[in-house]
Amino acid sequence: MLKGAEIVLRCLRAEGADLVFGYPGGAIMPLYDALAGSGVRHILTRHEQGAVFAAEGYARVTGKVGVAIATSGPGATNLVTGIADAKMDSVPLVCLTGQVRSSLIGTDAFQETDIFGLTLSLTKWSRLVRSIEEIPEVIAQAFHWARSGRPGPVLIDLPVDMLKAAMDFRGPVKFHPHPKAAGAHADAAFTDTALALLQKARKPVALVGAGAKLSGAVKVLRALLDDLQIPTFATVHGLGAVRKDAPYYLGMVGMHGTRAANMALHESDLLLVFGARLDDRVTGDPSRFAPNARVLHFEIDPAQLDRVRPCELPIIGDLAETIPAVHHKIRRSSLPNWNDWRSLACGPDRAEVDPRGFAQPTKRFLDELFCRLPVDSVVVADVGQHQMWAAQRYRSSSPRGFVTSGGLGAMGFALPASIGIQLAKPDTTVLCVSGDGGFQMNIQELATVRRLGLPIKMVIVDNKYLGMVRQWQQLFYQRNYAETDLSDNPDFVEIAKAYKIHSCRLHEEAVTASLSTETARELDRFLQSPEPELLVFDCHPEANVFPMVPSGAALSEMMLEED
Amino acid sequence: MHVFHIRYRNTQGTLMRILNAASRRAIDLPYVQAEPAEHTHKATLLLDVNPKQVGQLCRDWRAIVDVMDVRSGAPIKDFWEQHASWATAGGHPPAMVASGQARPASA
Repeated sequence: MLKGAEIVLRCLRAEGADLVFGYPGGAIMPLYDALAGSGVRHILTRHEQGAVFAAEGYARVTGKVGVAIATSGPGATNLVTGIADAKMDSVPLVCLTGQVRSSLIGTDAFQETDIFGLTLSLTKWSRLVRSIEEIPEVIAQAFHWARSGRPGPVLIDLPVDMLKAAMDFRGPVKFHPHPKAAGAHADAAFTDTALALLQKARKPVALVGAGAKLSGAVKVLRALLDDLQIPTFATVHGLGAVRKDAPYYLGMVGMHGTRAANMALHESDLLLVFGARLDDRVTGDPSRFAPNARVLHFEIDPAQLDRVRPCELPIIGDLAETIPAVHHKIRRSSLPNWNDWRSLACGPDRAEVDPRGFAQPTKRFLDELFCRLPVDSVVVADVGQHQMWAAQRYRSSSPRGFVTSGGLGAMGFALPASIGIQLAKPDTTVLCVSGDGGFQMNIQELATVRRLGLPIKMVIVDNKYLGMVRQWQQLFYQRNYAETDLSDNPDFVEIAKAYKIHSCRLHEEAVTASLSTETARELDRFLQSPEPELLVFDCHPEANVFPMVPSGAALSEMMLEED
Repeated sequence: MHVFHIRYRNTQGTLMRILNAASRRAIDLPYVQAEPAEHTHKATLLLDVNPKQVGQLCRDWRAIVDVMDVRSGAPIKDFWEQHASWATAGGHPPAMVASGQARPASA
């Protein structure tokens, strides 16, 4: 006979979840009681949001399912932001929440909350467990749905009496889903149409999103793009999917994308989309998004098609299968010569202008950091101006090398996500880039970093403002800097010291001119240290992110710099 | 008005997920009926939606794990006339008289 808690842990092991993140509490106590000797390693964070972001970080770089555990009530509600984040960014995540005992459900008992109902619109699938016998099947289903198709978050709500009860356990079960009607795939008709669209195109472009990575399709995508040689750009989650030195690669597209990428997209007559949702940060005004283009959309999740922009040809299915099918067809056919178009779109006239203005030192600082990183490093960006600067300056061919909360834009993501990433990749350099606002949203996780001795390299780009909001206030709200002033920030260097983490400060003057030997040496030491490190970079308070497409404008209406 | 017929397995939360797809878009739900249908369940929804929303809703519903089939179309005239009366059938909550009549007088 095994208790429900022990069965949960055995089923987790069977699904390959040997590392989980969580925070204990009343209703989940039986699970914690059974942890010792279970073979499941539990990482105690200092807040449930830290746990769920850490689980996400782990999942984002490994492709495995992340697991977060919390108790009922406030513990469960503290997971909600992470669940929403995992939904937006297609991260496989299983959340286990304790629940009050079955007989108390619905009575507004102490620490009772309807987390099942609360997360219905955020999860792919969820269950409130009603009997101990359900547990093996429920866990098997949860992992199946988290990782299948378009990955996403699932939730299992476990009443405490189910965890305490015991039954004869015959071992983990395999889940066999009901077959669903098959969607369209890259069959002959689709590949024929795709070829016909390409043969008619005069200005084709390719847009690469996270789906190319999630499907494990990077290799086949690169092969296709190398043959097509058409101007190509990536969403923030697509960064790293295209070889950084590919002559047709134009960097990031969208609100803070490169001028070359946005112009090529605006002028295109055929847009190939590989695993991207085409959200508003990518499209700008949807009615003026790629106004002359037909859209050929490779996508695993039919729910993402036509959300913003109708597509002429949806190719639904796993990109690892659909891309080779189309590529095979193209290889045997002749395509137009797009050399002139590529020369124009990727030519020197549209190359990035050396940044001017207050942001220049920060960009140079990030360049200096990035160029020192080993090839397989992971850059984890929080949310805000520093995120966009990092995305703009990041040039790597590592598909899972740039991690950020792109869809939800959840400040406070980077530090706990870095914990999950560093645990997943203990020998990899993990560079966590935050702003002064976001860092304070999960600053308590410095304790987790210290406890585990994780050698995360943390950078705070400190402009003493909620910088991105301030930028919008400057540009669109007549400089009314309402409630964005953080000039009374604590001394982050001293805070780190309190957590026994080595820390230092770098003023932007140190990178305005050529880097001094002393500064270069300090950056080298920072990145090569075997210990956790915090570096506070003092950034100009009014540094702005450019290029910028104002909200509701077309991509062609980007602002290149301040007037 | 569009009518939607959705076949689904009646697992925890599936009907709520179906309704959420409409409510998150602030689409009113003037008519909803959910009932067993052979070995599964069937929900019929009548919604005032534009063509773009029809596509979005159908795709969202099909993405729900336990939704098996989604069909949509313009409702037949009789269907709407029959059920339109529901909207004007009375206020909400229902009149107390119904429950009062069902109980024995307390004094």
